[in-house]
Amino acid sequence: MDEESQLKLIQDIRRNLRRASQDLSKWKLYKSAKWAAEALCGMGPPSTATLEPVDESPLRNRASKGKNMEEERKKKSLSEDEHDLYLLASSLFDCKEFDRCTYFLKDVTNPCLMFLKLYSQFLSWDKKTQESLESVLTTGKLSKNSSNNNGMSVTGIGEDTMSERRREKQSHGVVTMEDGHQSSIAIILMELNSYLDDVLGTNEKKEESQDRLGLGLLYYLKGILLQNDNNKSQAMGAFLKSLSYYSFNWSCWVELLDCVTRADESMLLLTHINDKFTLISDHKEDYDYDTQNIVQYNVMTKFFKLAISQDLNGNIDELMEIIEALLVIFPNFAYIKAQNALVNYHYMDYVNSENLFEQVVKMDPYRLDDLDTYSNILYVMQKHSKLAYLAQFVAQIDKFRSETCCIMANYYSARQEHEKSIMYFRRALTLNKKCTSAWTLMGHEFVELKNSHAAIECYRRAVDINVRDFKAWYGLGQAYEVLDMHLYSLYYFQKACTLKPLDRRMWQALGTCYTKIGNKTEAIKCFERAIQLSGNADQDTTLMYNLAKLYDQLNDAANCKQYMIRCVNMEAQMDGQQTDETIKARLWLARWESKNGNYEIAYNYAASITNGTAAEVEEARFIAKNCQKLM
Amino acid sequence: MRNPTSPNQTPSQHNSTIAISPFVGNRTRSRLPTHRIHPATNAQRENPLSNQLNQSWNRTVSGQSPYRSLANSPLVQKTNPSIITASLTTPHQKNTGTIPTNLNANPNSSLLASLSKGNVFGSTISSSLRKVSIQPNSNIPETNTKDENMSNEINKATTTTLTTNTTIVSPEIDLSELTSIERLRLWRHDALMQHMYRTAEYIGNKIYTITEDPNDAFWLAQVYYNNNEFIRAIDLLTKDNLESLNIICRYLMGLCLFKLQRYDDALDVVDELNPFSDSKQDSDPTIAPDGGIKVESSLCYLRGLIFAAQNNLKKAKTAFKEAVLVDVKNYEAFESLISKNLISPEEEWDLLLSLDFSTLGDNEEMIRYLYTLNVSKYIHQDVSKTAKQSLSDEYGLSNNIDILRYQIETLYSQCKFSECLEACEKALDGDEYNPTILPTYISCLYEQNGKNKLFLLSHNLAEKFPKSAITWFSVATYYMAIEDVPKARKYFSKASILDPSFSAAWLGFAHTYGLEGEHDQALSAYATAARFFPGIHVPNLFLGMEYMATNTLSLAEEYFTLAYDTCRYDPLLLNEMGVMYFKKNELEKSKRYLKKALEAVRNSSGTSTIVISIQMNLAHTYRKLGEYERAIKCFKLVLEEAGKDAEVYCALGFLYLKTKRLGKAIDYLHESLALKPSNTSAQELLLHALELNASIVLDENHPLVMNAELYSNNEDKLIQKKRGNISSTEAASMSKKMKMNGDMRRLSPDEDGDEEMDIE
Repeated sequence: MDEESQLKLIQDIRRNLRRASQDLSKWKLYKSAKWAAEALCGMGPPSTATLEPVDESPLRNRASKGKNMEEERKKKSLSEDEHDLYLLASSLFDCKEFDRCTYFLKDVTNPCLMFLKLYSQFLSWDKKTQESLESVLTTGKLSKNSSNNNGMSVTGIGEDTMSERRREKQSHGVVTMEDGHQSSIAIILMELNSYLDDVLGTNEKKEESQDRLGLGLLYYLKGILLQNDNNKSQAMGAFLKSLSYYSFNWSCWVELLDCVTRADESMLLLTHINDKFTLISDHKEDYDYDTQNIVQYNVMTKFFKLAISQDLNGNIDELMEIIEALLVIFPNFAYIKAQNALVNYHYMDYVNSENLFEQVVKMDPYRLDDLDTYSNILYVMQKHSKLAYLAQFVAQIDKFRSETCCIMANYYSARQEHEKSIMYFRRALTLNKKCTSAWTLMGHEFVELKNSHAAIECYRRAVDINVRDFKAWYGLGQAYEVLDMHLYSLYYFQKACTLKPLDRRMWQALGTCYTKIGNKTEAIKCFERAIQLSGNADQDTTLMYNLAKLYDQLNDAANCKQYMIRCVNMEAQMDGQQTDETIKARLWLARWESKNGNYEIAYNYAASITNGTAAEVEEARFIAKNCQKLM
Repeated sequence: MRNPTSPNQTPSQHNSTIAISPFVGNRTRSRLPTHRIHPATNAQRENPLSNQLNQSWNRTVSGQSPYRSLANSPLVQKTNPSIITASLTTPHQKNTGTIPTNLNANPNSSLLASLSKGNVFGSTISSSLRKVSIQPNSNIPETNTKDENMSNEINKATTTTLTTNTTIVSPEIDLSELTSIERLRLWRHDALMQHMYRTAEYIGNKIYTITEDPNDAFWLAQVYYNNNEFIRAIDLLTKDNLESLNIICRYLMGLCLFKLQRYDDALDVVDELNPFSDSKQDSDPTIAPDGGIKVESSLCYLRGLIFAAQNNLKKAKTAFKEAVLVDVKNYEAFESLISKNLISPEEEWDLLLSLDFSTLGDNEEMIRYLYTLNVSKYIHQDVSKTAKQSLSDEYGLSNNIDILRYQIETLYSQCKFSECLEACEKALDGDEYNPTILPTYISCLYEQNGKNKLFLLSHNLAEKFPKSAITWFSVATYYMAIEDVPKARKYFSKASILDPSFSAAWLGFAHTYGLEGEHDQALSAYATAARFFPGIHVPNLFLGMEYMATNTLSLAEEYFTLAYDTCRYDPLLLNEMGVMYFKKNELEKSKRYLKKALEAVRNSSGTSTIVISIQMNLAHTYRKLGEYERAIKCFKLVLEEAGKDAEVYCALGFLYLKTKRLGKAIDYLHESLALKPSNTSAQELLLHALELNASIVLDENHPLVMNAELYSNNEDKLIQKKRGNISSTEAASMSKKMKMNGDMRRLSPDEDGDEEMDIE
């Protein structure tokens, strides 16, 4: 790309973002609008380089902008009545009187107004179901707190929350307004679908999509509704359609991301976006073509790629490339920095991640997004003072954000005040019920409190909301392991492993599970894979010893011996430090060699056992004595 | 058509009733496009409407009007009120002279002939004509009549009287020529029309004493009847053996006896069989093609009512049918047949086709369409749709209550409850307590769980119509909605006592037993309902369902077949039959019925519960038939439409297990258990699935391994990169990391290691 087209690209991005921010805030998609505006301001100062084409471009830009405005007015095509209606509906929406807003908009035909109507209907429904969830949370809190004091009624809680959960799920269906008017996702969806059919039917005749924005918004809503119904594939289709109409709606990209549950899906989706995805542009406007209407140049697809690879462990090189490319265009955009930090976090590079987060905080001190991850890092790195500072700091900014509550909860957890921590997590969930990490972390807290049933409940909620949360799956597996329900825990570990196939711990857990079930060959396979993935000698001794023992049980002496030896050899990598496993391995080897008559080797093994339990040491001495006699 | 100029011929009663009734105006207003208007009429019409009002008035008064004959013909009367009013004054003048002479001349001779209905009404002409004749003077009727279109009888009467009172037109012309008796008769009639029965009785009594005319006796009886003094009316009518002489007297007598609930006596009076059935043509020549409802038809209707009251439904049905066949104008008979559920949907249509609308002249088409809207909504929907279309397009009736009712009932029968509710509310906006719409509205509110509205409505109704069955039906439905079954039962029974032909109340009553699981009582209640309402299949359907609930499948099948014979288009019935055959393990049959059911509701709305249950049953059938893929598809559809349901998830889990998709099976079973933890079958299935899962060999085809392979394409690069990163960081962090990993061993669920730090 030469410099001129680069400049043009930047201009286009700037213009599109500007328009998106206006449009989206007009139609009440505040988050997307905020994101667009942030991005816009993160682009750095407009280039003042006085190249020939640059001189031209502002002019051109202005001209096209004028045209743009005109066109927009035409496109919005809100008649006077509709505009007045919009003003009313808009203020009602802002006052959160959703039912009223819906009522006044009941006969609209304009796609944008239609969106507003259905959106407020959806929000009203959502509010009502949210209220029922809140009651679950508060009552759940009471029962859990009381039971925490007397750890006896553990099972009772599990059942309790279970039934609450069930109640909540049931209420998800239909909200009856007591006057016979019902609203449920299905009803809204039906209306939306019939409207879309109508609009598209008439539009095709006109061969012009007169209202890209309106259609984009409507498809976005459709996607949200479908996703609420757990109909991911259709939801994905709707989101993609919405994006093809209007690509600068960031929330839509985020929702699309939420539809992806597995890594292979993410790859499919990315190739689809690369190959087949097209952006529908206004054909009638022939003014210098908008680079943002071409997929390769569309900046939003880049952002999406970044987000999806970050979330689903994509290739780190590609990730870095994208981040760098985006940083060129958006040098001051905190979002990219935060993403960078998250990437590092996911690759367990906590130090870098912490540094990056610090930069983010410096750049945009009052930005609370993603700071809960920052607090996780601080917690793991045991920087408690920093965590305390962060907690104080964010509490000053806004106490009523789920991120704030998570940070506070982490802080209390670090101070070993688990009840308080749980309370804050619960608060976070009240503020944002989709906050999966809060559910997962709350599960950990319950594990701390030895309340497995409550922990399981939390983990389950986490995976209900976000199937990609491998921590929650892993937590489930562990909790069931504690309860000696290995079949269940095996399945959950499998789930976690699907999400993180390159993580040693997953395979190790799987192996242990298979061992407990008695399926030794599979256990061996798992452990072998775990060893392949491992980079840590400390852990490997355990793995090796487990493997060796499995072979022993299968009467495969050769392999067993081999792994025992490898296990003992690992000591070398650990500066000769002996672990429980190496001691056991030595003991086994000593026993083996003495049985096979290799008394000298056996003696060596036995003699080298210096640590370990009394019984082990005793046995080692006994073998050594015997060998000495027989040597 | 009579010749009005002949002085000897009294105008027939029909002419006069039309004149009395404000329908005259209405019919003119109905704007039939196919109206054939006589050119002369046209001219005439313009006259009074334009400035020449007085002129036409004078001309007609003079009795020389060339249009007189025309004007007297019913056709013209119907077309133009101004003409009637203008021209009818002439016959009036003549009549006033002729009637008394007629009566006086031969008071005793040919009593039967003179006592034809026409004569009976003869004396009323003067007063009624006067009322109508007033109309052109003020411009009120032009607008008034239009508004009157929908108003009921009482309103009409009052409007007429109103006009009488406001504008009194040169009555002295008429009155001066009347005999004193005529004047008294006029007085009596006015009093009757204005519901001043004491006055009417007082004057009528005097007239009768003076004249001893059977006509006057009849009118006195009429007054008694209106005043609810039935016994006196009977006495009067029997005294002179009037009832044996004249058919209308007999009708009145029967009506009185019916009101007194002396059904056997009433039946004696009206005869058990229609005496006119074979001699229709010569029954009464004066029952002219123009006119009102034939008395024979009314008699038949009365007979039907009596039979219905005696619970002799079969005979009632024939009587009603006869009534409507004799005269299609007898809407009450037609409506009784349908609203009392005496005939099945197909019979309804047959009846409709056999009706002779030709007597209605220009109204033929409209009335046919209107009647079409009344019959069953289950079949021939296209016909009724076109009927509705043309009614609203051609006749401007689109907002008429009956059209709205048709829409509402159609929506209800299609289970589109929310739309139906909206339509009901729109219809009730104009007529808040319309008894034809309210039952549907109440049922709709129940379906949509609109407790609050039901509460308000019930209270309103109880305040205003404490004696109406609908009121107590509404109250009972409210109690059903709040699940207070005993109270609901109490009020349902109250409603069905008030109106034994109210099928909804009966069924509700039976349902209350069904809900409480009292099968025997429910069965007997349904059986009674089935006996009372042979035209609907619902009682039989529920009987079948009750039997199915007790697993008496053969009996259930019997009742279902009975229901199926009456109505084979109800999706609910088809669904139940499907379930029944499913239970009997006749899966192919079950599949067939369920598919039929689906077809029957195909254009019904997606969220309605019936579609979902049909889909679900169909899915189960497929499952049993081993068509797993289809079953899965059906279940998924159910999930899409109905939302989460533990049973569906469980079934899906089972199916996936069967089709060897273990991962999905486990997921769905989990989902099922999350919704309903006590589901033992799901628990067992899950355990089984998990055991299977544990025993699967971890080779290249295992999804886990495949997934891992997918990743390991980047593996080397990744690990290198990671290690590179780590090595680039300080040693301090490295050691920390090691330590952390150490902790992992114990419980760590994630890299954060979060709480594990604290365990140390």
